[in-house]
Amino acid sequence: MQDTTFNEIADLALRLTGQVIQPSKSYLVKSRLAAICRRESFSSLDDLAHCIKSRPNPRFEKEVAAALTSKQTSFFGDRDLLERIVTHALPHRLKASKTGRLRVWCAGVATGQEAYSLALRLSEEAVPALKGAEIEIVGTDISPDCIQVAEAGTYGHFDVQKGLSIHRLMLNFSRQDTGDWRISQKLRDTVSFRLHNLLEDASSLGQFDVILCRNVLSQIAPSLHARVAQNLANQLLPGALLMAGRGESLTGLLEDLEPSRDVRGAYIRKSKSGAVAA
Amino acid sequence: MKNCLIVDDSRVVRTVASRIIRDLSFETLEAGDGAEALRKCREQMPDAILLDWNMPTMNGIDFLRALRREENGKDPVVVFCTNENDPEHISEAIRSGADEYIMKPFDADIVESKFAEIGLI
Repeated sequence: MQDTTFNEIADLALRLTGQVIQPSKSYLVKSRLAAICRRESFSSLDDLAHCIKSRPNPRFEKEVAAALTSKQTSFFGDRDLLERIVTHALPHRLKASKTGRLRVWCAGVATGQEAYSLALRLSEEAVPALKGAEIEIVGTDISPDCIQVAEAGTYGHFDVQKGLSIHRLMLNFSRQDTGDWRISQKLRDTVSFRLHNLLEDASSLGQFDVILCRNVLSQIAPSLHARVAQNLANQLLPGALLMAGRGESLTGLLEDLEPSRDVRGAYIRKSKSGAVAA
Repeated sequence: MKNCLIVDDSRVVRTVASRIIRDLSFETLEAGDGAEALRKCREQMPDAILLDWNMPTMNGIDFLRALRREENGKDPVVVFCTNENDPEHISEAIRSGADEYIMKPFDADIVESKFAEIGLI
C-alpha cells in the first residue's frame, strides 16, 4: 500500500466516522477492508483508493469507513460496569420513573455482545430494586455488517467462549447446525439494534434513562469528543445517566455534563439554571 | 504457585495447553490418559485439571467420575477441553462434576477467560 493510499483512507475514516487510524496500524486497514476488496475485485488497496478518488460514491465511501471501525467486543467485557448499571443506575432511574419503563442505549455496540450481556444479566436473577421495571435495550453501531450479526444474535465458537461461562452458554444459547451458537429468542426480544453514526444527531432514537458508550471515544479523534458527547447527552432524559468505558473520562468535555452524585462513574446533564427541580 | 494437570492423549495439545497455562502462572503436569491422570492425582491432588474427553485406556468422563469419588477428589477445578461440542456432551460433563468446558479448537484467550470464570485466576 502506498503512503498516499493510507493517508487517503485514514482521512476518509476521520471525516466520516471520526476514527483515528495511526500509520503504525496500517495492517488494520488491510485486514478490515479485505472483504470489500475481494467483493469489488480490487487487486490492492491502491486500486480501492483510486476508485474512491476517480468515481466519488458517497454510499461506497460510507461502507468503507464503517468497515474500518473496530469490531472488537466480547460478552461481559466490563463486568463491573454492567453490575453498576444493574444494581445502581437502573434502580436509581426506576425511583424517578412514573411508568416503570426504562430505556438503555448501548452506543457503538459493534456485534451486540454488550447489549445481550446486559439483557442476559437482567434475566438471570431478580434484582429486588428493579421489581416491576420494564427494560428496553437499544444497541447502535455504524456498521451494517455488525448490526446484521447483532440482530441475528448468532456467534461463533471463539466468541461464545470468551466472557461467558459454560452455564450461561447452555442456558441462553442454542447450538446451530453450522456450529455457531444463537442467543435465545427471549433475550433477542428484549434488545433491538439500529444503524447509527455517533457523529450525527440521535433524536430519532428517542430519550434514554441510561446511555452506555464504551470503547468508542478512545477510537475517535479528541477534537470530536465533545460533539459525540453532545449527541449522546442530548438523548438523556432529565436526571438520566451517561456512562463511558474504563479510562474514558467525560469530565470537562461538555459544559452541561456533571458527574452523578448517585452512581459512580456516571454523568448527568446539569439542570438548567432557573429550572425548578421536579 | 497453583498447579494444573493437563490430560490429553495428544502430545501436541498437551504442549500447547501447557505453555498457555504456565503463562497464567501455574505449574503444569501432564498425563496421556485418564488412568495415568488418576495415578498422578493420587500422588498429589492438583488445583486444576484440563481434561480431554476421548482418550485410550480411560476416557475423560470416566476419569472425572472416578476422581470425584477419591479422597479430596472434589477439590480440583475440572475444565473439560474437547472436540465434543454438542449440548448433550456438555450437559453430561457438568452432571458428572465438570466446572467448566472448553470446546476445541481453543486459544490462550479462551483458556484465560474460562479460568477466570471459575475463579482460578
